[in-house]
Formats: sequence, C-alpha cells, structure tokens
Amino acid sequence: MYIYDTFDHTVTRERVAEFSQQVKRRLAGELSEDQFRPLRLMNGLYLQLHAYMLRVAIPYGTLSSVQVHKLADIARKYDRDYGHFTTRQNIQYNWIKLDQVPDLLAELASVEMHANQTSGNCIRNVTADQFAGVAGDEVEDPRIVSEIIRQWSTFHPEFSFLPRKFKIAVTGAPKDRAAIQFHDIGIQIVRNSAGEVGYAVYVGGGMGRTPVVAPLIRAFLPKAEILSYLEAILRVYNRYGRRDNIYKARIKILVRDLGPAEFTRQVEAEWPEIRPSGVNLPAAEEARIEAFFAPPAYEKIAEPVASFVEAKAKDRAFARWVSTNVHPHKIPGYGAVTISLKPIGGIPGDASSAQMHAIADLADTFSLSEVRVTHVQNLVLPNVKQSELFAVWQRLGEIGFADANIGLVTDIIACPGLDYCALANARSIPVAQQLSKRFADLDRQHNIGPLQIKISGCINACGHHHAGHIGILGVDKAGQEFYQITLGGAGDETASIGQLIGPGFAGEDIVGAVDKVVATYIAIRSSTSETFIDAYRRVGAAPFKESLYGRR
Amino acid sequence: MAVVDRNGPLKDAWTRIGEDAPAPKGASVIVSLARLKNEHNSLFSAAGAVGVEVASDVDLADLEPFLARLGVIVVRMATMRDGRVFSTGRLLRERYGYAADLRAVGDFIPDQVLFLLRCGFTSFEVGEKFPVESLKQSVAAYSVWYQKATDRAKSVVELRGENSSRGAPKGSSS
Repeated sequence: MYIYDTFDHTVTRERVAEFSQQVKRRLAGELSEDQFRPLRLMNGLYLQLHAYMLRVAIPYGTLSSVQVHKLADIARKYDRDYGHFTTRQNIQYNWIKLDQVPDLLAELASVEMHANQTSGNCIRNVTADQFAGVAGDEVEDPRIVSEIIRQWSTFHPEFSFLPRKFKIAVTGAPKDRAAIQFHDIGIQIVRNSAGEVGYAVYVGGGMGRTPVVAPLIRAFLPKAEILSYLEAILRVYNRYGRRDNIYKARIKILVRDLGPAEFTRQVEAEWPEIRPSGVNLPAAEEARIEAFFAPPAYEKIAEPVASFVEAKAKDRAFARWVSTNVHPHKIPGYGAVTISLKPIGGIPGDASSAQMHAIADLADTFSLSEVRVTHVQNLVLPNVKQSELFAVWQRLGEIGFADANIGLVTDIIACPGLDYCALANARSIPVAQQLSKRFADLDRQHNIGPLQIKISGCINACGHHHAGHIGILGVDKAGQEFYQITLGGAGDETASIGQLIGPGFAGEDIVGAVDKVVATYIAIRSSTSETFIDAYRRVGAAPFKESLYGRR
Repeated sequence: MAVVDRNGPLKDAWTRIGEDAPAPKGASVIVSLARLKNEHNSLFSAAGAVGVEVASDVDLADLEPFLARLGVIVVRMATMRDGRVFSTGRLLRERYGYAADLRAVGDFIPDQVLFLLRCGFTSFEVGEKFPVESLKQSVAAYSVWYQKATDRAKSVVELRGENSSRGAPKGSSS
C-alpha cells in the first residue's frame, strides 16, 4: 500500500486545519449556510434529511487493517455505530454533528485518510478494480496510476471548480470490474503490439438522467504521458463544458455535443502544449510510487491444496460460498475473498463497528492486513491462503457476512434513497430488503445465476440502475413512490444501458414484478449456463414485457 | 470596491471608463474588449496606461495583439463557481507570456484566492463584504502543493526529487 511521506502528511494536516477554521466560522455565525455550503461540499459534508452526512474517501478502494479499525472507531464515536460503503468505494457516515467534524478529520488524518474532494465540482476519489494486484488477468496494478492521479488531482489549482463533478476509474484488466465506461474518464491499462504498457482512454461516460457509455478517444497512451493527457482533457472540459444548466454540465454532454471526434481533436491539440510543462511525473517519482505496490511476500504453495479440496467436498455450503465469493488469485494457493455486505434483508453496504473491527482482524490474521471496497458495496480480503478459506468463512458467519451471494440476485446495489437523501424521490433500501427476502433461498439464487439488480431512488442514478441487468428507478408520481424497471444494462467491458420496459409499479408491486422478470428468464434461457444478460441480449425485451404487462 | 493582493489592500490607480467616455490624457484606464479592439491606436497613444476587462471565457486570440502593451487584464468571474477563470489565467501567463498585472473580479471567496494566485493572478478587486482581514490566513493555508502551476512554487514532486538527491529517507517521516 501507499504510505504517506512528510509532504502527504503536510497537505492532509493543512487541509484539516483549513476546514476546521471554516467550521469554526460557520459555528460562530461568520459564515451563513449559503456561504458554508460550497466549502463543506469540498470536504464531502452534506446536509441531508436528518443530519450532516460525511463521505470519507477510500482512494481506489484500498484499506489497511489499521484504517478499517479507525473507520470502525469513528462509526462508534461519531455516528450510530455503523458506516455505509458506497458505489464509489467510499464510506459514508449518516449522523454526524458539525462541531465534531474537525476532530473526526484529525482522526482520519492520523491513519492517512481524508474526505478531500468526495463531493463538489472537482475531481472525485479515483476508483479502481477491487482485485488490483491479485487478479491473474491484469496487465498492471491499477493502484499505481490511481495513486498518481490522487496526488495530481488533490487541490488542483486549475481544476477545482469544474462545471460539474468529475469521476475517474481505472481497470488494469480487460475484464472490467470498475465500470470504467460509466465514468467521466475511464482508463484501461493495456499492452500495445510492441509489448509496451500504456492506457486506453475513454471519456464522457456517466449515469444520471442522461446515461452514456463512454467512447474511446485514445487507444494507446504511453504510460509516462498520463498526467499531461488528463490535463488536456480537463482543460478542454473546464473551458468549454456547459455551466448554464447543471443537468447538462457533465463532460458527457460536451463530448456528445462536439461529437467524440471533434472533442478528441481538441484534446489532442491541447496536449502537445501541456506536455513540456513538467506535469508528467519524472521516472524516479513514478518508480517511488510503484514500489509501494510491489507484491507482498507470498508463500510458495502447490495446488491443489488438499485441505481446501477436502473442506469443499465435505461442506456443501462452504463449497457454494467458494464458488461465488472467492475470486481466483494470480498466486497459486491463494484466493481473493469477497465479503458480502448483502445479508438477506440487510441494508446493502452497511457495516457496524463490531463487524468492521472483526473484518480488520481477519485481514491481519489471514490477508496480509489488507481490505478492499468494491463498487458493488462489498468488501474484499485480497490475499487469503486457500488452506485458510474455511476458517475465514466460519468467522464471517459469526458476524453475519458469510452469504454466498456475490454476483447473484441478492447482491443488490442500492442508493441511500428517501430514508436519508435530500434528493431522493423514493425509498431504495426497503425495496432492496424486500427483494433480498423474496430471493433468500440460496438454491434458487444459485439456480438463477449471475444477475445484478441495481436500485436508485431518483434520476441521479447513484444506485447505478442504468447499468443493472435489472435496474429499478424510484420516481414520485403525485406524491406516491413508483418504481420503473429497466432491463439489459451492464457495467462491465460489455457496457450497455438498460432500457425502460414499461410503466412503473407501486411500492407493493415492485418485488412481484421483478420476480416475474426472473421467472421469464428462467423460462426462456437456452440452458442453465445462459446468464440473464446473455438471454436478454438474445431475445430482447418482448417476452419480459408480455409477462409484466400482458399481450397488447 | 477595493483592490488587494496577497498581502492586503493596494493603492489602485486604474479607472474604468465607459464606452463613449474619452480617455483622460495620461490616466490609467480600463476599457472593454470591444473598445480596445476598435480604438487601440488612440487609446494607447492618449492614455498613460491601458487595461482591459474581459469575461472568464474570453477568446485569447482576441487579446493576443495587445498583450505586450496592456498594463492590467481584469478577468470577471460570472459566479464563484465559474472555474474558467483558472484556465484563462494559466493560459495568459504560460502560453501567451502575459507579464503585467492580472486581476480577478467577481463573486469569488477568500478560500479561492490561493487557487487564483497559483494560476497567475496578481491582484483582486473585491466588494465591501469581502473579508480582507482573513485573506492573509487563507492564502497561507497550504505550504506545499502536489502540482506545478503558474506561480512556479515547487511541487511536492520536485521537493521529493531534491530530498532523494540529498539522500533523505523516502518513507513516512511524521
């Protein structure tokens, strides 16, 4: 993991001091709420329906066990004993008192964490593949360039007041686990025909009310050039992105209005002007950062691991958990465990302080002290020996996080919705909970196979419904909560936007409607190995429409 | 209205003149871009010094012919969210080589002044409500930066390079 040096500490400490002053001015009445709003937003502090909500950055979803312990302590001390992991690999605390925020930030800083740029019209926390460094299919560890981008984007003098928020995601593998094409900039680490490592750059994707799959604007960018190229993109956007209408201010609208070809031309014209400015990192600095992500000292283990094979044979529940929740590791004898924060009937992404402490302890004992956050709101123990998977599974059972449902129908993404969020039109969490209970039967879940349900409580799409195989969008219809269903979205390397299937359903009918969609899939799939999304892409919307709305 | 720089209030000799008002001989006048384009010959010969006020999204090619002779460029931020001003400042300084006073006017807040300074701005026209007394504190909020910018402050990257060439330890030190 990256470790702060004296400069990183200084920047973080100075930010805490600056924001503490701003809080003091607000509490003393020197700043009105209107004046304080843009200042607090640059620090991830939102005023929600019931209280302040603080969003803490987890850069590229990587945490040490020490940091997880601290996040747990903060949940207990400053919140109601829990935290909420988000689709941007961050953590949110929902019940924060303003006068305690300076102390909270100082505690975060003590473990090299912060809430910088977790909101506001600036470059947000960079997200990346949760299996960075351990996935067998990756070209290079995406955390290296993610950390380079984190530092470059922190308090950027030119790009801190953009037309709108700006999100960057990185995948190091052709299998996209970071939904890069739904980001303002998506970066894929690739190898060119000469064998050199570089970046494919996608620009102008996004969710919200205008969902767009980002077009590729550069197939290969040499590694050393990434920061100058990002500056060129950001400068074109900062100068020419729309500022007259916040719904048209994201870079996706600029790319669409100019057309990807003209947008690319402008970026490529700006880029050579920026390259000599010294923004690209010197090789020594790149090497310094890269060294922090060198592989840990793995043991040499021969596969198959007898005890692991035996445990799977003996215990069907364990074997099933392994099949969904353990991802292959590039090192023989190891696996990457996804801890499901989706217990049946639970709130997606929530963890109590006791659960967080237990997970940090598991990381220390079994996973080289590392934890990751996924954009699907789960946690990962990236480095578990296969011989110890059974013990990990048992301990996860003790804290209620051993559900064998990763990638299945109850592994639901949901935004906070009307239970917390000031922007929401409808509740999301209760819908997720009811769906989870409806599909609780694990045999049925495994029979249904890979299926992603994503729920947003308003058109801002924080629950990624556009990218859900089944997407659910909460809308307000004359004061009543209604839910629209979209089908066929995907957030991976085959990115697509779900299509609205028909009129919405009342709150009491939405679970039944989703059940009908799933039953229709089961009826039409060509075999048990044809997944929901494959079947939908083969047959289209018609049979689903018919089962939901009848023949027309 | 007051004009300040990073150290506090400035004595300001510039006067804005309207579209039709004559330029007083020998005075330091700020005119619109349209007037500058139309009357640059007479303005530069009559006035003591000439400045121009432009919007944050000004086409820099329009300004380019006059840059060497202008004494001040005033860039107006439409609102405090108008971040175009930062790119405009950097481009004027770094690409067009503009060297005289670069002044921001508009609805910015003290906490943005540090960013403006980094992007090449040297003076600030502020309203009565602007807390000039807190400016010194807000521009001193940060001692180090990750990025290089117009102000040529050494970036963290450069400082690290110097440290390692002096053999200082690379790891965490606080």
